[in-house]
Amino acid sequence: MKVNGIAIDDTFAEAFGMSATGVVITADSARWARQAAVTMSGFGTSVIGCGAEVGIDRELKPEETPDGRPGVRVLLFGFSPDALAPQLKNRVGQCVLTSPGSACYSGVDAKKRIGLGQGPRFFGDGFQTAKRLGKSRYWRVPVMDGEFVVEETSGVVTDAVGGGNVLILGNDRAGLLATAEAGVAAIAAVPDTITPFPGGIVRSGSKVGSKYKGMVASTNDAFCPTLRGRVKSELGPDTVAVLEIVIDGLSSEAVAAAMKAALKTIVETGAAKGVTRVSAGNYGGKLGQHHYHLRKLLP
Amino acid sequence: MSGLTFRLRAPPDERLDLSQLTPGRLAALPAAEIPRLVVGTSKSKLTVGDVFAHKGQAGDRVTIVGGSSRLDFIGDELDQGTVVVDGEVGICAGRSMRGGRLEIRGDAGAWLASGLAGGVVFVKGSAAGYVGGQRAGDKFGMTGGTVVIEGDAGDRTGERMRRGTIIVRGRCGACAGSRMLGGTIWAERGFGPATGVLMRRGTLIGPAVETMLPTFADTGRHDLVILRILSRYLAATLGPLAPRALSGGVRKFAGDLATIGKGEILITA
Repeated sequence: MKVNGIAIDDTFAEAFGMSATGVVITADSARWARQAAVTMSGFGTSVIGCGAEVGIDRELKPEETPDGRPGVRVLLFGFSPDALAPQLKNRVGQCVLTSPGSACYSGVDAKKRIGLGQGPRFFGDGFQTAKRLGKSRYWRVPVMDGEFVVEETSGVVTDAVGGGNVLILGNDRAGLLATAEAGVAAIAAVPDTITPFPGGIVRSGSKVGSKYKGMVASTNDAFCPTLRGRVKSELGPDTVAVLEIVIDGLSSEAVAAAMKAALKTIVETGAAKGVTRVSAGNYGGKLGQHHYHLRKLLP
Repeated sequence: MSGLTFRLRAPPDERLDLSQLTPGRLAALPAAEIPRLVVGTSKSKLTVGDVFAHKGQAGDRVTIVGGSSRLDFIGDELDQGTVVVDGEVGICAGRSMRGGRLEIRGDAGAWLASGLAGGVVFVKGSAAGYVGGQRAGDKFGMTGGTVVIEGDAGDRTGERMRRGTIIVRGRCGACAGSRMLGGTIWAERGFGPATGVLMRRGTLIGPAVETMLPTFADTGRHDLVILRILSRYLAATLGPLAPRALSGGVRKFAGDLATIGKGEILITA
């Protein structure tokens, strides 16, 4: 099947159930809210190596935040609420508390909660105070530029999805990157989703296992163009590069919407930039509960 | 909206305990029982029928027309629905409320909203002392909910208050926030003497304090994020009853340093 000259594989992306939480970070300016969010999202690409997959969902207008200042919503995905709790505590404690003018609030509205300010509040060394307003409790931690305000808990959901993906193949590496960037930009407009890899794009797709002991994943040789001819390659003779967009979402619907947005952009703009084929990563459908068939998500 | 209306026949000769006149308690009674409820506090055993002419059907609203400073315990333990009093009330209105709304279109007596845990109490006039305060036998004063007083509040507003918010459009008397453990008192025209005496935690907000206690430390002017959150929270929950949002910084006094000193008086002027 071809759309606008781009071959669409008859395959599906295989994704997994995950737990997710989120925070709203505010600051005196959008720039500094974004700075804290970017810092907090660092080293948060893959749950296997980083402990959590972390990224910016979207920027918030002042009227959308609890304190009326510009904000950014950051989502964190992990294996379980228990696994997310230390990630949240450490990332907020090291990356948000330290950022000038910042405040941090729950970013997911859910009955189940995990600690948000419960750890960082102790930085106040006994001078911290709390204020409960409605159902929320806010900690005020004295810091050198005033007070760091942090909500006590954040909502956590256990029916989130991690690992939605799109593979972009083509004969122009720069054009592929530009197309992938456009795909990530399209996903950024879809609420409740993140693309946790650098700039939203992965160039090191992996397969399960390795010839080396202790390596749980290794390079996806079937999609490495420099190994074509040496291994059972999935690539045609004209493919010079493959880039992948990985998507996590608070719900399966959000991941499907994000993949749909990316596919639309890719098939509408990719051919002129050297995109020849679109595929998706899966494990034969045996590992992940969520399957997203590319052809069903086409515009 | 269905409900019952009670019209005061004449100014009462004795104090009346009107704690039974809440939507929930009245809905649980057969209609014929309502006029036989005893509300008197003397040997005369005055009943609802002796004191009020009533009409309507039990529902989510109770209206009392004709006020008196002898109408006590109105809205006692209210957990849902609305109680409206078209006039003044006596002591302990809104006592131990957990939800719903109590609206008093007149003045209120002492211990308004004592033991309040939830809901909204609105007073069109002024309130006497111990708003949201502790009564004998109570462990704390109010522990939640919101009180809005259009007029002034008497002495010891928020006595041993633990949580919740009291908004006074006018001025608080002496010793507001005395022995306070938490929560917020916002007096738009300021506070009297000895404000915050022996408060441990909590926040008092106003343009001035008549005499600042020497056990409060001046920490200077600050732009506090928590005040932005508080303003937005009150605007969202109270609508037009919310105080005007603060612009600019406040001068913070930390105290009472005669105790653990984790409370604060924030001067808005």
